[in-house]
Amino acid sequence: MSTETPDDEPLYANRSDWKDVEPLEQYEDINPLAPIFYTEEYKDATNYFRGIVKRGEKSPRVLDLTENIIRQNPAHYSAWQYRYETLLALLPSDNVASSPILEAEVRLMDELAVLFLKTYQVWHHRRLLVALTRKPKRELDFIRKGLEADAKNYHTWSYRQWLLGTFGGRGANVTDAEGGVEDVDEDLWIGELDFVDTMLAQDVRNNSAWHHRFFVVWGCGVREGDEDRERVLKRELTYVKQNISLAPSNPSAWNYLRGVLTHTRTPFSAVADFALPYAYPRGAYHVKDVVDLENPSPSDTAQLPCVQAMEFMADVWEREGGEEKTEQAVKMWTSLANEHDTIRKKYWEHRIREAHLALKGQKRAA
Amino acid sequence: MADQLPRLNRIAHVGHCKRCLSGLPAAKTEVDASRLALAFYCIGSLDLLGVLETSVPEGEREEWRAWLWNQQTQGKYGSGFRPSPFITAHRRSPEPDQVEYTDYDTPHIIMTYTALLSLGILRDDFSTLDRPGIVKFLRACQRADGSFSIVPGSNESDLRTLYCAFAISSMLDDWSGINIPSALACIASCRTHEGGYGQEPRCEALGGTTYTALASLALLSAHTGQAEHLTQDEKDATIRWLIQNHNRAGGFCGRTGKDADACYCFWCGAALKILGAEDLVDTNALASFLASCQYRFGGISKAPGETSDPYHTYLSLAALSMYQPSAEFAGAQAESWKFGPLDPLLNAKEDTAAWIRTHAPQKA
Repeated sequence: MSTETPDDEPLYANRSDWKDVEPLEQYEDINPLAPIFYTEEYKDATNYFRGIVKRGEKSPRVLDLTENIIRQNPAHYSAWQYRYETLLALLPSDNVASSPILEAEVRLMDELAVLFLKTYQVWHHRRLLVALTRKPKRELDFIRKGLEADAKNYHTWSYRQWLLGTFGGRGANVTDAEGGVEDVDEDLWIGELDFVDTMLAQDVRNNSAWHHRFFVVWGCGVREGDEDRERVLKRELTYVKQNISLAPSNPSAWNYLRGVLTHTRTPFSAVADFALPYAYPRGAYHVKDVVDLENPSPSDTAQLPCVQAMEFMADVWEREGGEEKTEQAVKMWTSLANEHDTIRKKYWEHRIREAHLALKGQKRAA
Repeated sequence: MADQLPRLNRIAHVGHCKRCLSGLPAAKTEVDASRLALAFYCIGSLDLLGVLETSVPEGEREEWRAWLWNQQTQGKYGSGFRPSPFITAHRRSPEPDQVEYTDYDTPHIIMTYTALLSLGILRDDFSTLDRPGIVKFLRACQRADGSFSIVPGSNESDLRTLYCAFAISSMLDDWSGINIPSALACIASCRTHEGGYGQEPRCEALGGTTYTALASLALLSAHTGQAEHLTQDEKDATIRWLIQNHNRAGGFCGRTGKDADACYCFWCGAALKILGAEDLVDTNALASFLASCQYRFGGISKAPGETSDPYHTYLSLAALSMYQPSAEFAGAQAESWKFGPLDPLLNAKEDTAAWIRTHAPQKA
């Protein structure tokens, strides 16, 4: 496998082993918009690519040529498509999964994924490959390493969710045109919560990790051992509360809390005791001295009040309704609008207007 | 805020777009597979800046139209527009004009959407548009799960491409290319616990794909006259999440807890406008943020200190077309911040959108 840059290699036009292919120049018949001033290497490789496509040739040297193009332009989706079809043509008819050609391809993709982390095509090609290898476990490990380079990369996380959804059984009821859902592997999920823990230990504000937790616990079937949903709810509430107590101003954790409550139809008021001390300045609210594991208190260094807790408590009171509770909520929103979260001033004022309107409606109905 | 807005450097932004249209350096080779979209961002920026007719001679605009039409191709999956002739081989001998594309040179759904917008901006009469061919092409792109692939047969599919299918159907006023129930199920499966939409089912909420989900639903509602696809609670949750992305920098981020990025001023801003929540945006802070994203040699970049590109330039100007700073805040520079109104559903100036809706559908 070549690790040289294309610059070190002779042009295809000068290579005797490519003499039999007629290079085809790019069509350019008309004054072009936004033309690219290609390098000689790119022109050369794509000229030969057009020639190969015209012949319909699918041979080992096509793998070399398409790799060369992809290294120069990883977004060249036609080169990816042709490469995949060439691979299929070269693979043996049985024991596809253990073919050395496929193994070499996966190894090459391990390298290219890191080089071109933000290119869609790298990841879509990988999905096609794992549908052939049917070795999703190895991929989970690859993703873990990939996230070390970029812990919030959208493609990397999407790929993990796709893998689990496609190969993970139970929740894998999402039909996938090329994935297929036979050979499901329940074990695939075993390490997921630990994996999320590790990611959040590195950065508790990593929203991708919080999203992944929601997907694993609530979004894609029920894991073995998680059948008791009441117990799972309790576990998750404890988990998110503890994380909030360590870093209160973390919108990702609060969004997770809200998501869990909404998903399980648990009223927000069920966690009001926990949220309340976070919604006031230090000292303004009396915190019990006893350690309450259900409702961990803000740490001594926490920045209070916490905007997300203020918002949460206002929601609790608004939902409870009535004049007194609504006024409590309005007070909170006013403080957010004028002091603690001024960029969203208009939003908080909108909430005040809406709550007052709702209150009028309640009175009229009563 | 004591200090007022600096000037929006319109002349420099015009220069950036014109430079990109005239040619790109080899370092931009990655654009090869999406050149038409880049051309749209440039032409669209000139349209938003209101200089298309004054600063580009008619002869040149005629050439642009010709190049765009040159990307419309026909074949077994129907018709549409390709990104550029990057796979198309030069013909050595004279051949008939309409050569069918190969499997590796098919139309591309995002390019087809941006081509129709670009031609509308250039006030083309769409007389050479192969409407039945485009409907056939949309059909060829839709997958079993309701999503759409970028090109027929590809496994690259997500809410971006689904939006393109909806926008194209809306522009043609012909929805027969879409299996609507299946597409709606796909949109619903992308909704997340945060209230936004991920790029594909199971994925994290993202500003861009939340826009494409909401715009798709609204385009469909406009067609069927059926108003609501979301409950009030769902809408409230989405508005809350979108407004949470309006951060202290004044701009919007695309995901919870990330930095503000100029493009999300459009994606989140337009999504809020579609939900009728445009009054909730701090327009002065938004303009300040975008002012700080201006690149000194023209164009607008994703964040302060980065280099500009047509994508962030167009989306920033589109955001400003919806969210104007107050006259008081813009002060002496107010004139430089003025824009005409934008249609948030098609992502085009209102008069451009009206032109497309008049001229793109099949004449009875």
